[in-house]
Amino acid sequence: MGMKKEGLKLFENGKRIDGRAYDELRPIKMEVGVLKRADGSCYLEWGGNKVLAAVYGPRECLPRHTQDPLKARINYRYNMAPFSTDERVRPGPSRRSIEISKLSKEALEHVIFTEYFPKTSIDIFVEILQADAGTRCAGLTAASLALADAGIPMKSLITACAAGKIDGKVVLDLGKLEDNFGEADLPIAYMPRTKELVYLQMDGDLTKDEFKEALRLALKGCDEIYRIQRDALKKAYEGEVNGR
Amino acid sequence: MVDENEIVWLVKKDAVADMIKNGKRSDGRKAYEYRPIEIITDYVKRAEGSAYIKLGNTQILVGVKMDVGQPYSDSPNMGTLITNAELVPLASPVFQPGPPNENAIELARVVDRGIRESKMIDFEKLCITEGEEVWNVLIDIHVLDFDGNLIDAATLAAVKALWTAKMPRYEDGKVIYEDKKDSLPVSKKPVACTFARFGNVSILDPSLEEEKSMDGKITITTTDDGKICAVQKSGITKISVPELENLIDVALEKGNEIRKTYLG
Amino acid sequence: MKRFVIPGEKLEGRPNAHYYREGNNYYSQVFGILEKKDNFLKIVPLKGKYMPHKGDYVIGIVIDVKYGGVIVDINSSHFAFLPTKNSLNYKDIVSAEVIDIDEVRNATLGNERKLFGGEIIEINPVRIPRVIGKNNSMLKLLKDKTGCSFFVGRNGRIWIKGKNSPILADAIFKIEREAHTSGLTERIEKYLDEMLKG
Repeated sequence: MGMKKEGLKLFENGKRIDGRAYDELRPIKMEVGVLKRADGSCYLEWGGNKVLAAVYGPRECLPRHTQDPLKARINYRYNMAPFSTDERVRPGPSRRSIEISKLSKEALEHVIFTEYFPKTSIDIFVEILQADAGTRCAGLTAASLALADAGIPMKSLITACAAGKIDGKVVLDLGKLEDNFGEADLPIAYMPRTKELVYLQMDGDLTKDEFKEALRLALKGCDEIYRIQRDALKKAYEGEVNGR
Repeated sequence: MVDENEIVWLVKKDAVADMIKNGKRSDGRKAYEYRPIEIITDYVKRAEGSAYIKLGNTQILVGVKMDVGQPYSDSPNMGTLITNAELVPLASPVFQPGPPNENAIELARVVDRGIRESKMIDFEKLCITEGEEVWNVLIDIHVLDFDGNLIDAATLAAVKALWTAKMPRYEDGKVIYEDKKDSLPVSKKPVACTFARFGNVSILDPSLEEEKSMDGKITITTTDDGKICAVQKSGITKISVPELENLIDVALEKGNEIRKTYLG
Repeated sequence: MKRFVIPGEKLEGRPNAHYYREGNNYYSQVFGILEKKDNFLKIVPLKGKYMPHKGDYVIGIVIDVKYGGVIVDINSSHFAFLPTKNSLNYKDIVSAEVIDIDEVRNATLGNERKLFGGEIIEINPVRIPRVIGKNNSMLKLLKDKTGCSFFVGRNGRIWIKGKNSPILADAIFKIEREAHTSGLTERIEKYLDEMLKG
């Protein structure tokens, strides 16, 4: 965010640098049940992002002293593969990935019926194989599908999407250049039915009206992505209902 | 996992939450009211800038140090900012020595984001030789007594410390710390406002008792020109769009009050 | 009538299980299939860990020997305890009945029988009812055709032993894959006939 590049126009003649309109998402593709060993899994492509999410559990939470006697413990690990970006990412948790993991875990913990599985853990692993801006939203969207695929009881799926500001214009779903040189980014996740936010971060500079507009756009993006999520889940098990 | 030092909070949790949902706070404050604030600047003479803050019973010391180093390759003409937070074990029975945990990291990153994104520091003016030497600004947040709402207190103290800091001299490849004169190239005054969430009820500046009982919290950092520069939701809570927009109004208003009173 | 439901989806009434209530409305907790028969709603999850219920017969593997009993892995979110005087060792396979569940989902087993030899296959626990079939019809078919001895645990584990056990295992995996299709029993019968002929 906020880097400067002379002469770079991100928004011109009503179009963005990759040709999208201000309220247009990058292409998104999801597939559920892609990993054999995991209890639930999802592969997601979003623009240039390639993300894998896996869920294990609920399973006995070890070591024992980390158990919660009243509910399942949710672990969420967001990790960028070393080769996922131009400059190699140093393996292991960074301050950034620890923060993203914490906030994502909390968003999911709001929808999972953790009280059904005392003393267990539900482990969610998100691997960013290729990064292209918006990885935390991509990871959370995939993780929510992997949880549903694992049969974990939840209040709702959750869907994530970001809006931001480039060249003074509020737009949906920032791409890589837009993320680097734009003026603001607002990643959110919501529960589709109630439209309440369970993930919320923002950095950059927005007036109150711009903030409202960004929020409106991000919610609109979430609506579209939710439809893709639903279709991906159903597609994975279509044969089982209609017969082959 | 239940820490045995925390068990008392667990027992009180429902009672505190019920009271707040009924519009009362145990210390008698209004929903959007800060605890008393006391700030002492230049608390540590060795640091380039420092501020001690007391917010209710929360005590934090923030120090600003500077040194000279290489710029990042993608911004060769800009100084850098690093913010670090330490939850010192003397501040709470639950703080442990060791590398920063996710709470300390989140604290540092939210404070950092507020300062960085407000553009209060003119990083281009911290460039000494493009591509080779720039000033690094290092903010260290030292939590001394933990009684809730670290983010707002740490942000306020850090901004105060940056405004009162004096830069050392740089001569012949050496930083001369004994000779500090010029102020930092700073302009704006970001203020963070943190709201604790209890169901659909929000209260400003949660005390520790309130933080231990809340579902989660939302921090909104605003600047003098009426803009929002950072937002963060933390904890297991949700928020509707109208309520979020309401909190933004409150944060803008309270931000201005704090700026006028403490950063004037 | 059958259709998909996903977590948070509003339902037209109160189903048998796997739902939560908000106000006067019912919502699905899981990703599964909603079956509707004369106003009776039933949600069948498509996947999920085995959750022990009293009276279930399960197949467990002994993972630890304690004073007065053994700890048994029953392919669930928690290990189970089997109080027994029989001598059981690490890695022994047992079939047992769930005789009690406490409030934190710890299961106690009883009526155990040690299983000798054979092998264990694992399938998605929610598909076990199909392996059993209506009035044990599928079970009977599998047994009659293959001549294997086997034991189906509610926890998704099936212990099988006998000359035709590879064919039996294939048939069970086929049932798992096609659990929600109609005409399954006929297809499995045909499949077994073909395989056993060759």
